[in-house]
Amino acid sequence: MRRPGLTALLGILLVLLGLSIVVGVLWGPTAIPPLQVVDTLLHPNQSINSVIVWQIRLPRVAAAALVGGALAIAGTVMQALLKNPLADPYIVGASAGAGLGAILAQDFFPALGLVGPSAFVGSVAAVGLSYGLARGRGRVQMLTLILAGYAVGIILSAVGTFLMLLNRENLSTIFAWEIGGIHGMTWGHLFMPALLIIIGSLAIWPFSPDMNAFLLGDEQAHHVGVAIERVQFLLLLAASLLTAAAVYLSGLIGFVGLVIPHVIRRLAGPQHRRLLPLSFLAGAIFLVIADTLAEHFPGIGTIPVGLITAFLGGPYFLYLLNRQNQRSLGGL
Amino acid sequence: MPSALTLRAVEFRWNKTGQRLGPITETISVGDFIGLIGPNGAGKSTLLRLIAAYLKPTQGDIDLFDHSLGVLSPAKRARLVAVVPQALSTHFDLSVSEVVELGRTAHLSFRHRLAPSSAEHRQAIHRAMKATGILEFQQRPFSALSGGEAQRVLLAMALAQETPILLLDEPTAHLDPGHARHFLDLVQNLAALQQKTILMAYHDLTTVGLYCDSLWLMHQGQLVMTGTPQTVLSAPLIREVYNTGFVQLQHPRSQKPMLLFP
Repeated sequence: MRRPGLTALLGILLVLLGLSIVVGVLWGPTAIPPLQVVDTLLHPNQSINSVIVWQIRLPRVAAAALVGGALAIAGTVMQALLKNPLADPYIVGASAGAGLGAILAQDFFPALGLVGPSAFVGSVAAVGLSYGLARGRGRVQMLTLILAGYAVGIILSAVGTFLMLLNRENLSTIFAWEIGGIHGMTWGHLFMPALLIIIGSLAIWPFSPDMNAFLLGDEQAHHVGVAIERVQFLLLLAASLLTAAAVYLSGLIGFVGLVIPHVIRRLAGPQHRRLLPLSFLAGAIFLVIADTLAEHFPGIGTIPVGLITAFLGGPYFLYLLNRQNQRSLGGL
Repeated sequence: MPSALTLRAVEFRWNKTGQRLGPITETISVGDFIGLIGPNGAGKSTLLRLIAAYLKPTQGDIDLFDHSLGVLSPAKRARLVAVVPQALSTHFDLSVSEVVELGRTAHLSFRHRLAPSSAEHRQAIHRAMKATGILEFQQRPFSALSGGEAQRVLLAMALAQETPILLLDEPTAHLDPGHARHFLDLVQNLAALQQKTILMAYHDLTTVGLYCDSLWLMHQGQLVMTGTPQTVLSAPLIREVYNTGFVQLQHPRSQKPMLLFP
């Protein structure tokens, strides 16, 4: 198993990310000739076009890149911690917690516009609750964490659905939010979550060797010297903060956190020192492209980006599973 | 010989009322190769897990050399004691050398966590793979190996940890006699050449006496007898513990004791 070099892959993905960002800012409601857009990108000025590109289009594309990267990293972490290839950033209750947070904000304080922050808090709180329940008195078993997260998710979803039915007029707002989409992004809105995503991702990276060791099971990870409880807690915390920051920016965008780590693992192997940065870049590229498609969907106009990721991610995942079965060897 | 491992009244309870392991008080000298025998459920794996700090004793202390196990950091502990499990499977597509490399985890300084390919680590990984004869398939996927090959990879991972103490939990349970013999020869050579202190849980009473310097016999959570293979295997107690008779023979070449089915 010869793996392609990390620097080469990083270089390729960085170039692709740059290209996808340029493509992402080419179109918009105001028609600006592509060459002028590129010129504005390289030489910002005071013209209207420059303001449109720098203050309206770029924040949106940057948000898509950060959300995609954050979800891909969080998915990678959850898959390593839970040793479960179906794990995604939302698996231990984050999505249901975020959903309930959003619904509460929308129902009770609709004027404050707190849907994002409330979803952030709900997401982190739900993961914390699942972790607390799984912890009990002893060591946290990762299978118990999945089950606790599942139960917490069901309960919180039920509460959310109940609240939505009580306030039917909010249904469509919350529904759109749950599919996921990036709307009306500004640099100011982006700043805090972007900082959190960048710091969180960088904080996870030095734990790569520990995450590699987790691939052999928690007990063997302990034997080779991983402080398993502390590392599990820190990684779970970091991943849930990344997920919550992504949810804050864009609602619940599915499939990125599930599919991207699998794709990169096939390409570059399961070592997290390589997997984490490559997944971040691939997730960013994927979501920038998906968001551009969603914003300018041919013949329809704007649709939620969550639909695009599901349309692209779902079939691709089935294709991966199918290839997997044909090889009949467990190479995830 | 100084002691590599000291158990002082070590006791472990699974819960308030149920079974209990120990109290066990015993020491192992540096360079000893000890076989841990006893029927299923006697507590062999639990004792190994206690020594590897995966479980915490309810009472008593364990020392590795001069260090109390309770206060050792995970990384320091993993530089003193390594564990070879009975078998290990992973859903992930790790290559053989990547698995062996995991044995270096406890040796990584912060700087090396992002660039783990220093000469020192590469040499340690190479030495471990060479000693276990797995160099020629180091690029193959771990999940595609046969049982005998996989077990040697797990031993190589433990060797890459470069620990003075090695714990093995029925390492040959899934191996055919040929692979089992080569594996045990390998472990015995390591004990002799690298002065490793070895504690190995083991089931086969025909071969355990041929390899180990002394035997620990466990029964219902208690360490009921320790001594040379000759003493332990010929004791009437062993028939009681296993609830069966045995025929005892001397190995025709080495004169070492073996127990056979009657």
